[in-house]
Amino acid sequence: MRGKLIAAAVAAATAFAMPAMAQDRGGVLNFARYDGSKLIDPIYADRNPDIWMVGSLFDTLLRSSPDGNSVVSGLAESHEMSDDGLSVSLTLQEGLKFSDGAPLTGDDVVFSLDRARNPDLSPWAGLLGSIKEITADGRTVTISLNSPDPTILSMLATFNTAIVSKSVFDAAEGATDQEKSAAIFAAGGAGVGSGPFFLSGFEHGSSMSFSANPNYWKMGADGKALPYVDGVEFQIIPDDATRILKLQAGEVDAAEFIPFSRVAELQADPSINMNLYPSTRIIYSPINTRENRADGTPNPLADVRVRQAINYATNKEALIGLVLQGAGKPMTSPLMAAATQLSADLGPLYGYNMEKAKALIAEAGIEPGTKITFTTLAGSTDDSTIFAALQQMWSPLGIALEVEQVDGPTRGAKNRSGEFDIHTYGWVNDVNDPSQVVGWLGHTPTAKAVGTGWENPEFNSLFEASATEINAEVRAQQYETMQKLYADSAPLLFMYETPFAVAVSTAVEGYVQTPLGNNIFEEATVSR
Amino acid sequence: MASIQYILKRLLLMIPTFFLVMIIIFLLVRFLPGDPAIAIAGDRASDADLEAIRERLGLNQPMLVQFWLFVTNTLQGDLGRSILLRAPVIDVIFDRLPTTIFLTLYAVTLSLLIAGPLAFVAALNRNKWPDAVIRTVFQVGLSMPVFYIGLILLTFLAAQLRWFPVGGYGDTFVERLHHMFLPSVTVALYTSAIIMRNLRSAIIEVLDAEYVQFARAKGLPDRLVLGRHVLRNALISTVTLLGLSIGNLMSGTLVTETVFAVPGVGRLMLEAIFARDYPLIQGLTLTFAVLVSVVFLLTDLFQSTLDPRMRLT
Repeated sequence: MRGKLIAAAVAAATAFAMPAMAQDRGGVLNFARYDGSKLIDPIYADRNPDIWMVGSLFDTLLRSSPDGNSVVSGLAESHEMSDDGLSVSLTLQEGLKFSDGAPLTGDDVVFSLDRARNPDLSPWAGLLGSIKEITADGRTVTISLNSPDPTILSMLATFNTAIVSKSVFDAAEGATDQEKSAAIFAAGGAGVGSGPFFLSGFEHGSSMSFSANPNYWKMGADGKALPYVDGVEFQIIPDDATRILKLQAGEVDAAEFIPFSRVAELQADPSINMNLYPSTRIIYSPINTRENRADGTPNPLADVRVRQAINYATNKEALIGLVLQGAGKPMTSPLMAAATQLSADLGPLYGYNMEKAKALIAEAGIEPGTKITFTTLAGSTDDSTIFAALQQMWSPLGIALEVEQVDGPTRGAKNRSGEFDIHTYGWVNDVNDPSQVVGWLGHTPTAKAVGTGWENPEFNSLFEASATEINAEVRAQQYETMQKLYADSAPLLFMYETPFAVAVSTAVEGYVQTPLGNNIFEEATVSR
Repeated sequence: MASIQYILKRLLLMIPTFFLVMIIIFLLVRFLPGDPAIAIAGDRASDADLEAIRERLGLNQPMLVQFWLFVTNTLQGDLGRSILLRAPVIDVIFDRLPTTIFLTLYAVTLSLLIAGPLAFVAALNRNKWPDAVIRTVFQVGLSMPVFYIGLILLTFLAAQLRWFPVGGYGDTFVERLHHMFLPSVTVALYTSAIIMRNLRSAIIEVLDAEYVQFARAKGLPDRLVLGRHVLRNALISTVTLLGLSIGNLMSGTLVTETVFAVPGVGRLMLEAIFARDYPLIQGLTLTFAVLVSVVFLLTDLFQSTLDPRMRLT
């Protein structure tokens, strides 16, 4: 299974770097999704089914490199950071056009980035908090910063900074930006895109159509403009079994979010390529580290030794076998997936060691029969399996693990209020920079260290210093120290990384899902 | 004239029913744990973001004020804006409702087409092998969950034999009949099992009635006896049952529409609940209440047509 993962990684990287030589052009790719998009506007997209589609409709100035460690050209053919780190100058490619044929100019860039950094509009505005001003002169765009920002180039390759048409927004119905955006998207007709496609149809909860942008700037291997396909038709099929049946019946060319229990079966099907794309998705469990629980009773998990003990007593490989049928790997960085920049390889975190776990529990003086509640998502087979496994794995420590099943919003509310002992959670990076996930998981002022209440002054000041550190080596050192501090304190039960499982018909080539989850169709081909 | 007065009376009686439904659903959604602001902005939103969303949605206002706004806006035909879809609730519901009504009517039609003839065959062959076979098959159908029957049908009739599409809705009426056959038959199998059992018993009971024996004694042909006397009288209780079943059918669409990827209000209700979309949950519940009330009214009217002894008062 690990081999398959590596193969998928290589395939993904190759698809970015080297398009297929003999191109099939034309045809429509039919894609079955687990959930539908609600609003694919770069600055308002706040759910993965929206975020992961933005790049197909709206291009960014820069793009993440295939390995995710740097940025490459996008709508901007070149970029330059000033020596003092206080401004970025970008030069747009010549002759850029939107899908409706209108020129894409510096004014559109200024309009799009000003929308993106407006905290009254976008929930993602904080990612662009360092920007002082954006100006454009011909093809040159200059971004001035209030303070040096090591993440700024990554942010210019992130979905929320994608470029939209100013004139389309100016002409749209509605008094506010939100109303204009909703009106443009809800129209369901031909939208105007700067990406490889434009939105050509939309029926909420049912279907969505992308058509090829005839004016797209990027060239294919045959010297003609991408994309190769005429369009992509999305069908929303929430039920896993139905999505797979649809692929097997040949009614769609690809189906995403394949349950891992079905991966082996689809790998054996000669008409299907069962792809496991490397991802930045980690599955972990925040542990409440506060001295007392929300009800005032003493919290045994406040003792770092207990948190370390349950980590040692958890056999991650066994969990991966049970939940993912082997299609995953234990986390090696406590704060991020291995595919993320600056992730330190600390080896398998808290490798299974029951003796050490028992010793730590004895040292902490935990009484046999101590009750700990594990909060899981109701209806989630994965969570039920994890709970059953942990109950067994932790019973030699004298821990009586009890389950509490809730739905997603309730789990979120409990995490915020600290009314939990330990619960399941997951994360996928939205940004090609570790600052987002590290802030979320460890920085107390950002999100109470993912609701755990964990507070480490050294960690917090390192994180804050790293936000303006433009010396790459110093920043890498700061991140390495933060990862070690976090691993030692174990505010999480560190579990595993999982790939994105997408089953694709053998008639399709060149489709990729990036480690951030973005669906890339620009170099996809369909041969019928 | 009497029937018009009856209909008006029933329509008036719906007003307190809807008011009660509004109170219950308003309180129920608010007592659900989980914050709609988190459902909208996601787990990663800051406390300030959440507060801004609550303010914008009016969730910070006292409950009584929120309820007053809900009632007065609803009376003016304004069910609010969907938090999830950022569109007027009324538009979203009208967009998706025809699909669910089509699915429900299709399922009812199929239920009657399946249950009617088989109930007759079973009743006329009481305690013989055709009766035993029909009852056993339907018993199996009754004991299987709807989603499981759906998946079995999808696997064999759609994925393997490819007689029907796996999911979707279709564009034209004929396409819809084709696309919606499997979801409708899935729902219909369960309902037809209930109707068949009821209709079979009713037919057997009527067959033994003196008026049927008299009709036969006076030499009426079997076709007339069965059609005019037996079926009409046996249908009275079945119509009541069918009316009640339509309520169940509509709630069953939550599962069926998800399994078969049908974009109706059933699936929308599930999405709304998971997103804590208060206005959409409220709007959908009211819509279900209106539909079920109308179905019950039509059931009563139809019953009085079948049996003139039932006076509409």
